Amino acid sequence: MSFLRNIASGLRSLFRKEQVDRELDEELRAYQEMATEEKIKQGMSRKDALRAVRLERGSLEITKELVRSGGWEFFLETCWRDLRFASRTLRKSPGFTAVAVLTLALGIGANAAIFSLFNAVLLRNLPVKNPNELALLGTGRGSGSTGGVNDVLYSYRFYEELAQKNQVFSDTSAMMSVLFGGIHGRVDGSANLEPMNVQLVSGTYFSVLGVQPVLGREFSKADDEPLGVHAVTVISYSWWTRRFARDPAVIGKAIAIGSTLYTIVSVTPTEFSGTTVGESPDLWIPLSMEKQVSPGWNGLEDRWWDSLYIMARLKPGMSVAQAEAGTNVLAKAIWRDFAGPVIPPDRQRNIDEAWIPLTSAARGLSELREYSSPLQMLMVVVALVLLIACANIANLLLARSANRQREIAVRTAVGAGRARVFRQLLTESLLLACLGGVLGLLFASWASRAILAWISAGPEPLPLNIAPDVRVLAFTFLISLVTALLFGTLPALRSAHVNLTDAFKSGRGAAALGVRSRFSSALIVSQVALSFVLLIGAGLFLRTLVNLTRVNRGFDEKKVLLFSIDPPALGYKLDSRLVNLYQQIEQRVAAEPGVRADSVSLSTFSQGAWRAPVSVLGATPNAGDNPHVIHNAVGAGYFATMGIPLLIERVFGPQDAATSPKVAVINETMARFYFPGGSPIGRRFGIESGPAHAADFEVIGVVKDAKYESLDERPQPGAYYLYSQVLKHFYYDFEVRYSGDPHAIIPEVRSAAASVDPSLPLVYQGTLSEQVDRSVASQSLTARLSAFFGFLAVFLASIGIYGLMSYGVARRTNEIGIRVALGAPRSHVFWMILRDGLLFASTGLALGVPIALAAGRLVSGMLFSTKPADPATMLVAATLLIVLNVTAGYLPARRAMRVDPIVALRYE
Amino acid sequence: MPDKPSDLVQGTLDMLILKTLALEPMHGYGISVRIEQISKGVFRLNAGSLFLAIQRLERDGLIDGEWKPTENNRRARYYTLTATGRKRLNNETREWGRQVTAIARILEAS
Repeated sequence: MSFLRNIASGLRSLFRKEQVDRELDEELRAYQEMATEEKIKQGMSRKDALRAVRLERGSLEITKELVRSGGWEFFLETCWRDLRFASRTLRKSPGFTAVAVLTLALGIGANAAIFSLFNAVLLRNLPVKNPNELALLGTGRGSGSTGGVNDVLYSYRFYEELAQKNQVFSDTSAMMSVLFGGIHGRVDGSANLEPMNVQLVSGTYFSVLGVQPVLGREFSKADDEPLGVHAVTVISYSWWTRRFARDPAVIGKAIAIGSTLYTIVSVTPTEFSGTTVGESPDLWIPLSMEKQVSPGWNGLEDRWWDSLYIMARLKPGMSVAQAEAGTNVLAKAIWRDFAGPVIPPDRQRNIDEAWIPLTSAARGLSELREYSSPLQMLMVVVALVLLIACANIANLLLARSANRQREIAVRTAVGAGRARVFRQLLTESLLLACLGGVLGLLFASWASRAILAWISAGPEPLPLNIAPDVRVLAFTFLISLVTALLFGTLPALRSAHVNLTDAFKSGRGAAALGVRSRFSSALIVSQVALSFVLLIGAGLFLRTLVNLTRVNRGFDEKKVLLFSIDPPALGYKLDSRLVNLYQQIEQRVAAEPGVRADSVSLSTFSQGAWRAPVSVLGATPNAGDNPHVIHNAVGAGYFATMGIPLLIERVFGPQDAATSPKVAVINETMARFYFPGGSPIGRRFGIESGPAHAADFEVIGVVKDAKYESLDERPQPGAYYLYSQVLKHFYYDFEVRYSGDPHAIIPEVRSAAASVDPSLPLVYQGTLSEQVDRSVASQSLTARLSAFFGFLAVFLASIGIYGLMSYGVARRTNEIGIRVALGAPRSHVFWMILRDGLLFASTGLALGVPIALAAGRLVSGMLFSTKPADPATMLVAATLLIVLNVTAGYLPARRAMRVDPIVALRYE
Repeated sequence: MPDKPSDLVQGTLDMLILKTLALEPMHGYGISVRIEQISKGVFRLNAGSLFLAIQRLERDGLIDGEWKPTENNRRARYYTLTATGRKRLNNETREWGRQVTAIARILEAS
């Protein structure tokens, strides 16, 4: 109660100031009048009485001031006054204000930009009900399909068993671990095939998440069984907007994919775009329609066809540890049951050793988590940049405070307490920081979009919500505040403790300068040290990137275009018609002018790999680890198109047809590992372990190793087959090696494909070198941004040195004048000043080297064939730093050299 | 010559004002005169500390202020004790008594 009363009364004096003042005035006047009358009654004259009252009771004005300053609203009022004064002062020195605000905007903006991305990728919760109750089985690292016992992907049968029998989750859902991006469908009876992203989910998906559709009904458990009959789809809000202009009559319309018509049953809310951050499905379709949506995926009834993520909601009050224990007991029972009455010993071992961790799914799954360590590292980098910026502004403020000593002395002399002066100066810093923060936020919203566009694969930016939310705003506000305290506190303290007598003495007060310049020098030295550390980091990451781009890929990525087609959209089956389609397009494209070679392959570099064990005929498996082999199904012209050199015997030729004996080309590493001693040519092996298939393929040739998944991988065993002989998939990529203008090639390929089947959807996937670049996007981002920030840091430090030394020269004009007048050669003066600059740089370097070494060790995991203590990087960074710092010192030194003794001595 | 007026013990001014108002509603000057009279001139109040204390007490809801005409047909702000104020006064008086007895005991001990 009394608290509210206090607030109300305070607000009244804030907003009805005049009335409150008048009342106080009247009350005090009455008081004085009564006291005076009392005295007059005792026989004093009115004049004497007034004086006596003032002596005894205090003056009216002081009393008023005292009472006024008693309430909390007085604090606000003075804050407001300080703020107005601060903005006036800042307006009066626009140069200083502009430099300070811009520096801060850069520093704060860099922090806000990186934090926006960090927040979007790593911190933001999914827009679903109670996200913290959501758990993912396994780590979610990995996608696609695999077989056997594992802790990432699960089969549909496993999911059904788990959902039915578990005691720990209130509800369980499954989703396909791959977003189907190459799907084409016909919308609402149109004849055009349109590309669409399809996410397959269990009927419980939306209810587990607690996502309510804005229109229509969500999926239900009924959509899971029986398989192949629930042709319904939920569409995303953004697709509804894009494709249907938010037509409410969309419910009930149909989308044809393959030969199935899917009825639209609902639209998701606008903020929901799936559970994988960085992906945005257009359509959700029940998992039970897997085969109909993408005929290559047909494993719902296979107990060991593991391709799903399982996401579940914990029962209320259930701890993660309890749920994890319960899940694993059940999972092992299910696996044992799947394995049958007689469990092979290696599977038994797999089941015994398996452990499914429960991971929080509050923030969803993310393909972008590869960026988590670069983003964390960049957060540290931008924080250091901001520190350097703070040091610069602290120095600017110190220089300013030297000039404002008199102003402050006057204010102290007329009664401002030190605390008041300190508060006033700090208000100025806060105002600067807030201006910098606002500008920084604008800068950040541009910068984070630019970075996002940069790391995005295609022309469309990654669907990632980087709009500043409360967390980003709070973060920016907080760092602005901290920044102000960092750069403002010490200068303000120093100014508030101004020595009156010294300050009023003529000229530039000399007393505080010794301390000031020692403090400033410390700031400069730490700036140099920090910027050295950042430069070293930038150097290491740049070297990593260069090393990666120089890695021998084993193929030639230049002048190769990639295309994909969608045969299932036109009803193609896994048969010779499909093989014919691919082969005909291959041949037509090869005949086009400008095309030097073309081929087909199941996977291309870094776009997923078919990885499986092999069994070699007539060889006992090694006792130790048998590395899985990367398999690829390719066309006959693959090695010529990709520029993979043949080492032994031959590659595929016209003699190898769909029906002729199955043959394989292997790489060096596979030859060395699986066929040691003697030539592998003519030997036989099979995909999958066990003797059943060991005679499937005959080795006809050996090619050089190539990189398959990433540039920094070790050599992996690889085997190539003809796609016509191992036809298991619908989707293959075309590689087209061209000469001349690539823009002319794209329409040629289109018309070649159209001449085979005019309605076939063909998608241009970009060049192979773009794909290679994309595979190092995270390293590239790290290298370029850290280089940018490194240079920014050195630049700021150089400005700092320039500022401090210019100030020093201005201050020492007198002294320099005397020196010159007494006959000191100009070059001496020049060196005297420049020496200071060199001293800053070398001290900073000496401090920076051990810090850089320690920091280097922290990021060694992100480096590729570079040591954290790389001498060349150190040398280049040190040289660069010294050159820049000396350049910064050169201008003031030259100014010092040109000081005219006459002018200098008349100076004061 | 009488002793010079003493400074109030810290924190007792509020209690004295409350006590004064417990007898009858009064204006600022009246309060200070009453305190001086009862203390036989030992305490003399400065206008600044008096009105600061009055503002504080009013904001805490211990006293209420109201403009009324005085005997001399002037307008003055009269303050009355609220129920909360009376409760506070009782508590503080009790506490003060305890402390004074304790201090006196200590001082008489040796």
